[in-house]
Amino acid sequence: MAAQPKRGGVSLPERRSAAKPESNILSRITSSPIVSRGKQAACDAAFVSKKLLLSTGKAAWIAGTTFLILAVPLIIEMDREQQLNELELQQASLLGAPPTASVSK
Amino acid sequence: MAGLVPPVTTTIPADASKTKKADEKTDYMNLPCPIPFEEIHREALMSLKPETFEGLRFDFTKGLNQKFSLSHSVSMGPTEIPSQSAETIKIPTSHYEFGANYIDPNLMLIGRVMTDGRLNARVKWDLTDNLTVKANAQLTNEPHMSHGMFNFDYKGKDYRSQFQIGNGALFGASYFQSVSPHLSLGGEVFWAGQHRKSGIGYAGRYETDKMVATGQVASTGMVALSYVQKVSEKVSLASDFMYNYMSKDVTASVGYDYILRQCRLRGKIDSNGCTTAFLEERLNMGLNFILSAEIDHKKKDYKFGFGLTVG
Repeated sequence: MAAQPKRGGVSLPERRSAAKPESNILSRITSSPIVSRGKQAACDAAFVSKKLLLSTGKAAWIAGTTFLILAVPLIIEMDREQQLNELELQQASLLGAPPTASVSK
Repeated sequence: MAGLVPPVTTTIPADASKTKKADEKTDYMNLPCPIPFEEIHREALMSLKPETFEGLRFDFTKGLNQKFSLSHSVSMGPTEIPSQSAETIKIPTSHYEFGANYIDPNLMLIGRVMTDGRLNARVKWDLTDNLTVKANAQLTNEPHMSHGMFNFDYKGKDYRSQFQIGNGALFGASYFQSVSPHLSLGGEVFWAGQHRKSGIGYAGRYETDKMVATGQVASTGMVALSYVQKVSEKVSLASDFMYNYMSKDVTASVGYDYILRQCRLRGKIDSNGCTTAFLEERLNMGLNFILSAEIDHKKKDYKFGFGLTVG
């Protein structure tokens, strides 16, 4: 337990001393207004895109479930109705042909 | 064949209306009889307010003879419990309901008993061709929840009037009159002695064979408008708008109603983010399969139900 603060205490000045020669370039770059502004912009962009993605996802979910409830049964039933109509038409043409033929005869 | 018939029927009224236009003034003496005041939103309610349910439902009706029939119905599933909090609380319940019906052209008696002790009785009796008495009673084992009501309906040549009397000193009267062949107007008054409330309301209804538009205003602050467009014989589109001046809540909904040969499908979406669909599929003669779905996006409340109706 006692070693950790000691190590930390030791490492801190060490890092400082190690960073000192580079601080002129690196710290100047990192603390430059362009970089910080870029960082801010990147953060904002990430935040906004995350929000946008979430809200589009939610909207897509709502639209999808609504479609599933309102339109899918309707499409299925319309298709069934059409099939039934076709079947009836076919049957009518199959069964209806002989009587008309007999009438024409 | 079916494609040929409608043009014929549409051309006849067109010709008839041309000839009628001349003597339309005399036509005001024999206007058609309007529908009862309480049923003015009938078409819109039929397509926009299907009886959605959650869980299972099984209805069985057995006719003992031509006029008398017994009905059994079982329902299972979660039921909502009214609570103050925003989220809905549901507890699973099951019910059995036994009913007896006697239906005669002049007299209709309907009784229902539920396992939780509720009893519902309805009588509709045509005293003469014009005068009908309707009685409705509901008995429960909870105090102050039982109520009874008598309605006296008088049907005139081009008007209908109704007088209502119920327990809790409830009195009501309504009158509905045809003003032109398509338009009918009416009003109602009611007085509830127990709650010390009274009100007055007006309603109008415009009806052609393609559309129905109704409007109703009451002194309780309710404004209800509805519009139904019959696109074809099978399809009708409906929309309604409800506004309550007192509680300031507004609801609008749009729906469709498809009556096909094998099924009837009703769908609706309203401004509260609630989507509803109700499908009645005819599997066989006297055997119907019901699917009901209701999604409330705002409350995150999803209700799905299925059922069978036999007989």
